[in-house]
Amino acid sequence: MTNVRHVWIVTQWEFHRFFKWKDQLLSLALFLLVSVVWMGAGFVAGLSSSAVTIALAGVEAPPEPHGRFRFMPAPPDPAARTRALQDRTVQAVLSRGTDGGFVLLVTKEPTYRAELSGMLDAVVRRERLEVAGVTAAALQRILEPAALDVRFENPARARVGRAEKLVAAGCVGVMLIAIFTSLSYLLIGITGEKQLRVTESVISAVSPQAWIDGKVLGISAYALVSVVNMIVGLGLIGVAAQVASGFAWPAAALRPSVVTVLLLYTVLGLLFWNAFFAAVAATVNDMYTSSRSSLMFLPVLPVVLSVVVIKDPDGLVARLLALLPITSAPALPMRLVLSDPGLVEVSASVAVLAGAVWVMRIAAGRIFQLGILLYGKEPTLNEIGRWATARHER
Amino acid sequence: MDDLVLRTVGITKRFGGRLATDSLTFHIQRGEVFALLGPNGAGKTTTVRMLVGIIDPDEGRIEVRADGARFSSLPPPLTGYLPEDRGLYQEIPVVRSLTYFGRLRGLDAREAGRRAAAWLERMGLLDRQTERLDRLSKGNQQRVQFIAAVLHRPAVAVLDEPFSGLDPVSQEFFIDLMAEMKREGTTILLSAHQMDLVERVADRVLLLNRGREILSGSVAELHRRLDRRPRLRLTLERAEDMAVVRADADVAEAAVDGPDLCLVLRDGAQVPAVVARLVTTVQTRAIGADAPRLHDVFVRAVRDDDNKLAEPSS
Repeated sequence: MTNVRHVWIVTQWEFHRFFKWKDQLLSLALFLLVSVVWMGAGFVAGLSSSAVTIALAGVEAPPEPHGRFRFMPAPPDPAARTRALQDRTVQAVLSRGTDGGFVLLVTKEPTYRAELSGMLDAVVRRERLEVAGVTAAALQRILEPAALDVRFENPARARVGRAEKLVAAGCVGVMLIAIFTSLSYLLIGITGEKQLRVTESVISAVSPQAWIDGKVLGISAYALVSVVNMIVGLGLIGVAAQVASGFAWPAAALRPSVVTVLLLYTVLGLLFWNAFFAAVAATVNDMYTSSRSSLMFLPVLPVVLSVVVIKDPDGLVARLLALLPITSAPALPMRLVLSDPGLVEVSASVAVLAGAVWVMRIAAGRIFQLGILLYGKEPTLNEIGRWATARHER
Repeated sequence: MDDLVLRTVGITKRFGGRLATDSLTFHIQRGEVFALLGPNGAGKTTTVRMLVGIIDPDEGRIEVRADGARFSSLPPPLTGYLPEDRGLYQEIPVVRSLTYFGRLRGLDAREAGRRAAAWLERMGLLDRQTERLDRLSKGNQQRVQFIAAVLHRPAVAVLDEPFSGLDPVSQEFFIDLMAEMKREGTTILLSAHQMDLVERVADRVLLLNRGREILSGSVAELHRRLDRRPRLRLTLERAEDMAVVRADADVAEAAVDGPDLCLVLRDGAQVPAVVARLVTTVQTRAIGADAPRLHDVFVRAVRDDDNKLAEPSS
């Protein structure tokens, strides 16, 4: 009971140590500002993009629309063309080369090059079709993809598919962002406590296990709140965009059971990695100089591996990834929305991941107990392994 | 608390191949001030860490009985701990840190806050309670750390090197605090190496050297062990006169202590006669009787132990 109370006190402390309303509101405001500036910049850029006048020498004008381009016939005399370029009546002179390509004569680097190339592609394509005797309509028919009408036996599945995929991707994203958010606080927090010599004061009052449990819970909660704050910011922008553009979200439905599992995996995945990184931090003196700081990229690996699940959600590898605790946090949610893994597989995966979180917190507590009091020299991997498997008194 | 028994039986701790404590057996009585003494590296902090349960002994055991229950180290709610490696959260307001440590030791948040405010007022820091700790001077940070250790009114206060880094005024302040805690019934385990300060508050002492006990007993008992030969302390005008003083027939030992020369005279030496002789043979700025100090007992005990260990075994 004392341990539970200690875990709760440490959880509150760790959460409030980093959580500050002012910072949260500031980050939200900055996020909004950046988005507004971004959108505004695009709008302003669209308004202010200067017109480009191009003189055509023996070249047909590309098909409409011309956008910011204005095409005009070039003077027949080369000297007159040069003068037109020099006095900036035109920005470029476009002619045909001997190889059938185009030549663009300019006085400075053409920033509109990509846009113009796109237009010229259309001109060339039209010319080649004419030479081959193929009409544009015939070409369109040839390139048309085969129609594949997917019909679900249960029509409700079709409606939930897209929304659930979105939520699953969102959950994996939230988990990754939350892991990276809490990672920095765990590493900086724990190594900071070692450097400031706070550890002995705390460790004499609470068991190392209660301390690490509270730390992991408090910082995980802080990370989730921060990410939710970010999502709220995104949501506000999404609503604003919806209102401005008149865009309507497609009708979608979510299965509560699936959403529950997705959220459960987000939390369990976060706790698993945070327990892991708390143990790593306890063995490090200074994050900025330790080679162990490279371990922080480890949580990305399971997400990358989970691409296998997208390609073949019912394959052996996908099933294995959805069961292994290191990879199941991103893999099972993907399987869940892309396939139908069934209650047994989902239950087994949840049980394995929950068990792995439990084992990881015990191992982390043991490593933490010895590592947190070790100053100066970083323990070897062998020593860490011994600590993780040895039972201590407290 | 009606009953409190703290006993160690042969506790031994090794770090790698190095023996930090070697089969230490001692007990602490309820309500006393017990001091662990010894030079740097003697094993004081290791012993303290084992007692508060931060590390476990490799051999031997610690027996704690309190309120009818048995423990293998001092239980946190009954214990206040001031570690040698001091540190609190630098970026957190003082009162928040104190409340946190009070809660960890069993107080509820309101009571912890109330006691923190009372202690801060006593330390003259109440107006700075909402400031970050790193805005306080080092001495004031030490005071805050002390409050964190005793806020919950522990039955046992374990103070590891409480005087280190303190100016003389603060040292006096902490001695008074300890005396007051003792009067209120707190058992105090003190680890230090400033014997002059320790002998003013301690009831019993245990002297360690290289992890082993080399001397123990009450302060009164140790006083009885003092070298009772007469002593003089004098300040010479000229350093070259030191040889003349040392050569005096009644001077058994002479040791430099800062600007002074401390003399131990032979048994039976007549102090007035020695003083009269010295002031005529050398130029003295000051001369007076000197008292034997426990400090000397400990220095001698440690040196004798070191010499014994350095002797080749026959």
